[in-house]
Amino acid sequence: MSAIAADPDAPATDRLPVLSPMLQRLAAERATGALMRDRGTLYLADGQVVHAESPATPGIDVLLTTGGTLRHEGWWDAVAQAGAGRRVGRYLVDSGHVPGGALELCHLGALYDAAFFALAPTGTPARFRYGVAHWIGPVRPVPVAAVERETLRRREFLDRIWPDPACDSAPLLRTAHGPDAPVPARQRRLLELVDGVRTASDIAQALGRSAFHILVDLRRLAAAGLVAAVRAQPLPAAATPRRIPLPEVTADPDIALLRRLRDALEAL
Amino acid sequence: MPGIDECLLEVMRLPGARGASVVDWTSGLALGTIGDSPNGDHEATAAETAEVARMTAEQPAFARLGAEGERTAEPPSTPVEDVIVTTHDGYHMLRFVETAFDSSVFLHLWMDRSAGNLALARRRLGELAERLVLA
Repeated sequence: MSAIAADPDAPATDRLPVLSPMLQRLAAERATGALMRDRGTLYLADGQVVHAESPATPGIDVLLTTGGTLRHEGWWDAVAQAGAGRRVGRYLVDSGHVPGGALELCHLGALYDAAFFALAPTGTPARFRYGVAHWIGPVRPVPVAAVERETLRRREFLDRIWPDPACDSAPLLRTAHGPDAPVPARQRRLLELVDGVRTASDIAQALGRSAFHILVDLRRLAAAGLVAAVRAQPLPAAATPRRIPLPEVTADPDIALLRRLRDALEAL
Repeated sequence: MPGIDECLLEVMRLPGARGASVVDWTSGLALGTIGDSPNGDHEATAAETAEVARMTAEQPAFARLGAEGERTAEPPSTPVEDVIVTTHDGYHMLRFVETAFDSSVFLHLWMDRSAGNLALARRRLGELAERLVLA
């Protein structure tokens, strides 16, 4: 594997491509448990990554049930039968709900997807709970080094497509441009869900598709000028009373509107 | 009930097989590998072949279109079944794997040109791609 450049967003003290020193230590001591970080959790068994979850990515249950691989009843049956024993994955295969190869492909996809977000740069310290196992159980463990290498590669990959991360987390808008070239079917289905409110994560959940795959397609759509991020996020008023959602660009400044805005701001 | 490793072992039983992998073409991630890779680095090969697979899968020229150029009701992830690249001493075969859940996976087989049997490999790889995700 060729050397990977340090993440330019990483703090100056963290120039080496080490995503999480704690994770490397846990791998070295062959730890078992859950590494909880700001944006997701990695589950380790014997120092290998056996599962990952992130609020930014659809869980394996969503991935499997959205496409119809598994019906909701099948999923709940597996959770009821094998959840307590932490062998849901094994049960899904043994009971004939999901073919073994399909489960491995889907699970690996979900694992790397969640790990990418879980290992995102953060200022919040990570916590590790020893002994915790995920209910999905053993499917196909992955070495920590492979997960770290892939996560770094994915960051670079996104930036090579389009170096602006604005679309990764903000609500998304379709631009007024018509496409210059035919939009591939997968990107078109994504584009249909871009409505000024949904974020990349929302779209991933709705389509039952890996969130990183959505980011890749979004960067391509952004590069083609078809999608843009909504700059001012409509946050709950109570959380940040100073932020008021505004349209990003007005072709023609409306003086009356600006006056009303000023008055409203002063009244706060 | 085969998994990724069993599938790759089967692929390697084809005459002339030098290496094989299961790759996600959206991200370029190698989900499983076996044998050799042309440049000695399965991960780099996966990222490179994924680009070829993606461009083929999304190429409008190969797309199957319904009336008025609209997509058909429930299309597979790509209308393309496989891609075959012939080099001076080998064959590369990329076979798309159709899954019921959303994915973008293909099987990559690298074969020796003199020992490999292209027609046999193509048929077998198609069967294995189906068996990988069927019970």
